[in-house]
Amino acid sequence: MMSPVSVIAASGVSMVFGSHRALDALTLEVPPGVTGLVGANGAGKTTLMSIVLGLRTPTSGSVSVLGLDPLRQGAELRANVGYGPERNVFPDDMPASDFVKHLAEVRGMPRSEARSRASDALWLVGLGEERFRALGTMSTGQRQRVKLAQAIAADPSLVLLDEPTDGLDPVQRDEMLALIRQISTDYRIDVLLSSHLLEEVERICDNVVALDAGRLVAQGPLKDLVGDVEGVTVELAEIDDVPGAVEAVVARLTAAGLRVEREPQSVRMDVLGASADDIADTVRDAIADCGARVRRIEQRRRRLEDLFEAAAR
Amino acid sequence: MTSDGSAQILDRGYRKFDGRRKGVWGAVRSTAWHTTRSVLGLGRKARHKIAPALVIIVAMLPAVVFVGAAILLGGEEFIEEFLVGIVPEYSELARQSIAAMILFTGLVAPEALVRDRRDGMLALYLSTPLTRQTYLAAKVLSVSGLMALIVLVPTIVYLFGLTFASLGPDGVGDWMIVLVRILVSGTLASVVYAIISMGAASLTDRRAFASLSVVLTMLGSLIVVQILVDAADMSTQWRLLDPVNMPMEMIARIFGDPGQYPEVAAERVYGANLGWSAAACGVLWARYRRAGA
Repeated sequence: MMSPVSVIAASGVSMVFGSHRALDALTLEVPPGVTGLVGANGAGKTTLMSIVLGLRTPTSGSVSVLGLDPLRQGAELRANVGYGPERNVFPDDMPASDFVKHLAEVRGMPRSEARSRASDALWLVGLGEERFRALGTMSTGQRQRVKLAQAIAADPSLVLLDEPTDGLDPVQRDEMLALIRQISTDYRIDVLLSSHLLEEVERICDNVVALDAGRLVAQGPLKDLVGDVEGVTVELAEIDDVPGAVEAVVARLTAAGLRVEREPQSVRMDVLGASADDIADTVRDAIADCGARVRRIEQRRRRLEDLFEAAAR
Repeated sequence: MTSDGSAQILDRGYRKFDGRRKGVWGAVRSTAWHTTRSVLGLGRKARHKIAPALVIIVAMLPAVVFVGAAILLGGEEFIEEFLVGIVPEYSELARQSIAAMILFTGLVAPEALVRDRRDGMLALYLSTPLTRQTYLAAKVLSVSGLMALIVLVPTIVYLFGLTFASLGPDGVGDWMIVLVRILVSGTLASVVYAIISMGAASLTDRRAFASLSVVLTMLGSLIVVQILVDAADMSTQWRLLDPVNMPMEMIARIFGDPGQYPEVAAERVYGANLGWSAAACGVLWARYRRAGA
């Protein structure tokens, strides 16, 4: 199969269910690597995944996945795509190895190859010793790993994972995120990871596609969308003995020629207009002179939340 | 362990696959085989094997009784005195499996569809080279294959048994014609039963309700038709709406026998089977055209 520059490319994709517009003229490109598909529940993430797999026909627009048309070349495409659905329900009486082997076979592996790859995939996700256990006896964390194993067992070029950390405790979540990163880095499998948890996307993804109510909020390399930006973020603490201290600090900073961006009545502000070191010095002096109390001063940083907040404004 | 203590665990890691993938037909075959194992309870707990075992016993019983009697109590005298005249025709023997068919359609076949909808396998199947159509084709292949075994195996055992007891067809030519008729009629009837039962089972995601739905469709239609024709004295053509007997009637017509309802023309019998199959396919498609997305 050819290696396209974009793993997924969508152009003007809309999906309408009755009066509800699930996706609205979505144009995006997903490059190789780990891409986070982020957005609140109902943002259109699962609908987009269905379209990428060729399971739904968009109302308008077109999609290309791995250089193939999901609607006309769906079978060929899906043989090269692994999928881990959000739903955490399995055939309870089936051993994990049989489950992974069967799906590898359905994705095109010869029987003997499917058997050995199922075993390998289960070892890779840390379930080697548990591979003959029935799925119904496994914990949520183990089931999430089985879902990942079946998604990679047939050597796909692309893996789609729908909320793969759902129901996991913090330790299990860290392990799952590390595995997903490993799949991309070590095995050269591109990953589209759907999540409503922005923090986990920031931790492991190379690229981000952010959706809000079916519309594209942002897309691109994570390092371009989040990270350090110009200015300093300052958060002060209210002091009952010194009312108006926060306002006094803001006035001092403005008088010093700095630009202060702040929501009305908020103790948090972004200060811009000079180098970070100069701003920090000026802020320190202003706080000391006004008798204010500081909670934190740090390099201004853009987070994924900021993208959604900006879109909402 | 090696003598110098240098043994290591072989870590094969993750391997790329450079071979040829099996494609859609491979996916259909694999799904059909998996469904067959699941329906028969193979690789599952003992309680899942009870219903299929019961069906197999009920299906095999008539053939085993007749053939067993012919062979074990045998001897030409016994055959001439007792069996000639009471040995059923092949199409009649196929009719003996009707009880097994109803048991299978009601108790076992719903498992083929309902389980995937209930335990999330459907969404996974549709993320593979299978489409909704090829997924359903795999299921029909599996269920009709099993039903064909229920009809064919007893009839073929019967053919061999009668042949062994010198009551079979005369000559190789006739024998081959009977065999081909058994295979063709049994396969067609099995496909019709499979599609009807799966159409009825697709109406619900609950296994018990699916079984009820199949039984109501099969036996309910049979009872209504019998009331209309036998009690209300309406046209015998209403029998075409009987999904239990029409496939068996088709088997009789393929053998050139008048069947149970000689007043209904053979073309109409074939048409009724086609109609029932088309209607069930329509129900299946309506239930699955958006499923799993």
